[in-house]
Amino acid sequence: MQQTATVRAGGIGMGVRDEKLVPYASQRVAYWYFVVALALFVLQIVVGLWLAISYAFTIPQSIVDVLPFGMTRAMHTNLLVLWLLLGFMGGTYYLVPEEAEREIYSVPIAYIQLVAFVAIGVAALIGFGFGYTQGRPLLEIPTPLDFLVVAGALLFLFNVGMTVLKGKKTAILGMLLGGLVFLALLYIFGMPFYRNLTIDWFYWWWVVHLWVEGAWELVTAAILAFVLIKVTGVNRKVVEKYLYIETALFLFTGLAGTGHHYYWIGAPRTWLYVGGIFSAMEVLPIVAMVIDTFRTQREKGVVIKDKVVWTFALGTAIGHLVGAGIWGFAHTLPQVNYYTHGSQVTASHGHLAFFGAYALLNFTMFWYALPRLRGVVKFKSSTAILGFWVMSLAVLGLGVAMGVAGVLQTYIERIMGQGFMTAQAQMQFWFKVVLFFGVFILLGVLISFWHLMTARQAAEDAAETP
Amino acid sequence: MSNRNAFLFFLVGTLASLVLFLALTWDTHQQVDALTNADKLSDQVVAGKHVFEKKNCNECHTILGFGVYYAPDLTRAYARIGAEGIKTVVLQPEVVFKDSFRKMPNLDVTEQEADDLVAFLEWTSNIDNHDWPPQDKKFTKSADQRRLEGAGLSPGAAAFKEYCMSCHSIGGEGAASGRPSTRWAPSTTRPPSRRTSQLPPQSIRTRRCPPRTDLTEQDRQAIGEFLAKQN
Ligand code: HEC
Ligand code: HEM
Ligand code: HEM
Ligand SMILES: [Fe+2]
Repeated sequence: MQQTATVRAGGIGMGVRDEKLVPYASQRVAYWYFVVALALFVLQIVVGLWLAISYAFTIPQSIVDVLPFGMTRAMHTNLLVLWLLLGFMGGTYYLVPEEAEREIYSVPIAYIQLVAFVAIGVAALIGFGFGYTQGRPLLEIPTPLDFLVVAGALLFLFNVGMTVLKGKKTAILGMLLGGLVFLALLYIFGMPFYRNLTIDWFYWWWVVHLWVEGAWELVTAAILAFVLIKVTGVNRKVVEKYLYIETALFLFTGLAGTGHHYYWIGAPRTWLYVGGIFSAMEVLPIVAMVIDTFRTQREKGVVIKDKVVWTFALGTAIGHLVGAGIWGFAHTLPQVNYYTHGSQVTASHGHLAFFGAYALLNFTMFWYALPRLRGVVKFKSSTAILGFWVMSLAVLGLGVAMGVAGVLQTYIERIMGQGFMTAQAQMQFWFKVVLFFGVFILLGVLISFWHLMTARQAAEDAAETP
Repeated sequence: MSNRNAFLFFLVGTLASLVLFLALTWDTHQQVDALTNADKLSDQVVAGKHVFEKKNCNECHTILGFGVYYAPDLTRAYARIGAEGIKTVVLQPEVVFKDSFRKMPNLDVTEQEADDLVAFLEWTSNIDNHDWPPQDKKFTKSADQRRLEGAGLSPGAAAFKEYCMSCHSIGGEGAASGRPSTRWAPSTTRPPSRRTSQLPPQSIRTRRCPPRTDLTEQDRQAIGEFLAKQN
């Protein structure tokens, strides 16, 4: 905090060193976005621990009546989406000035918008506590608050759009802005009340699937491209070409790939073919992204300037591949999905994919931007790397434990045809394993959060990064 | 590939997939009414959907496989335990699941809301979704089939098939193989009611049967006689 204050007070054009660190004063709005996002992530995980306890042990009726599982689960997932989006917005505000080579159009709007989103989030969470929800998983936020979300999103898009419009236009900015507009548009399809449950789920996935396998992928590709250029110094033209190819593949496979959620909802049979084939191809862009990242590293003359950021960037690429690519592919064909649909296999994939692709992406940006915003150029990287491994391995452990539970469930309930609760009884042990790894996730995230906020400038010779 | 070509590749790929996606979306809207029996989608069904959302049922249960994996899928709940089963569970879960290791909260559902929920779940149980979930196929297929098959049987056997065999089995036929089974059934711990206590003891030995208040006096009598003969 001390150092943040110095950098702040200095503003731009202060010392040569600071100017290079954070070239534009308005980039600093990102700081509070990141801090709030991290705090909400910690909260999400604490709630997650309670969910695992509810699965692993018997909760007495008196507690269930006042604190039903569903209420806490809604908090867990909404906190996730809120902190990820705040992280994306902070990341956007951080990179847009450097790309567009000008200050953000309006700094006050950026802060108002942050306060608005946090206020909506807090109101929604408190509302959940009183049962004030839309009752649809992941889209629980009641309609009046939905309109505020849209208003906040419009403010954000306006602010970023004006900055880009008035500044330099790059491929990265185009892709980022495109992804953000797409993201906001899709949200609208989740708002109405649908009489027919089948149609309801049909459009529910326009938000959920087209977000994580469409719009967010564009945002990811853009942010990763930015970080690649900054950290490795590779040629921008090459990065941009790969950006186009990857996003082309993401959207080509991801749009029609939505069909992998329409197999068993009462939609036409065609979706089994289209959904199966296109979603199976969704692995391709993810593989391309991994190859691209490693290719960059091996390119001639590339010196990795920032070991911590690079660890997280590689982690994102591989986490994305494992959680979304491999785990997603495993249950995406209708022949498999018929038995695994809506089981703990899905939950396992949800955790590995969200963490591997989007939580780690946000951390990549946090580790790039936060030390700079705090005026730190070089710091001892060992704690940051430790944080990475503790949380990544713990999430992997949690995902595998849920996966084992899911395979048991698939076998006992879906194949043998026994009852839901019979299967759950056999799965209890694995939920205790989930709880065990959950504690380590919390630990890893706390280490990272703490180190992000406190890492100190290391003496030149003690610094590990060249 | 030049950057310009890469950009073209991006545009063409995206548009192709988008067109296919929107065409199938249109097709879905054309067919959905038939697949979901939209003619039976009455105001009461919609009221039931509202209750389902207001009471956050979907935050523990899945329906059509979506939602939360903490409690049984409700797509075919109507086929599994019938109107009375659903009402009993929803109105007094604390009694029905007293001995279960996982509880369902009492959500202060009114009698009217429970009826609406039943209407909603009856409607969902008939959605043509390629027979998902697999474990519930045995309940949905049977509805007409069992009635047909019962034609040549004694009245007691027919009634037993119709009302009991979705949970219980007898002589290797029925819900689970070989023995009276409540594998899938909600673990009700209500003491045997006056109705069931009129049945021979072996039929109530598990004390975990969803109450079937839709049984007529004749059916109950017939089932009792049928089961008594089995020993
Ligand atoms: C906090 C979680 C929770 C909520 C909310 C909830 N339930 Fe349940 N429900 C359960 C659990 C757990 C079981 C299974 C208990 C057992 O079998 O031991 C269950 C069982 C059932 C069953 C019996 C299913 C079967 O085939 O055995 C029905 C029907 C049901 N719930 C309907 C509803 C409806 C309708 C709502 C909304 C009004 C609802 N539930 C809300 C947790 C919940
Ligand atoms: C980073 C990208 C991804 C994220 C964050 C993600 C996340 C999720 C989540 C949270 C769900 C559960 C939603 C729910 O029902 O509540 C889900 C379902 C699913 N995902 Fe993904 N996913 C991603 C990519 C993929 C990919 C690339 C594939 C396929 C190749 C895939 C295949 C599936 C399938 C088949 C389901 C449905 C599971 C079921 O039937 O229950 N996902 N995903
Ligand atoms: C202490 C760590 C955690 C524990 C114990 C935990 C546990 C759980 C549990 C029990 C559920 C409910 C599953 C269900 O019944 O539907 C859940 C849902 C979910 N959690 Fe976590 N979680 C943890 C951390 C995380 C993290 C780090 C992420 C992502 C970055 C995450 C993302 C999700 C998602 C996306 C869902 C919804 C899954 C779906 O709909 O398929 N959780 N979590
Ligand atoms: Fe998907």
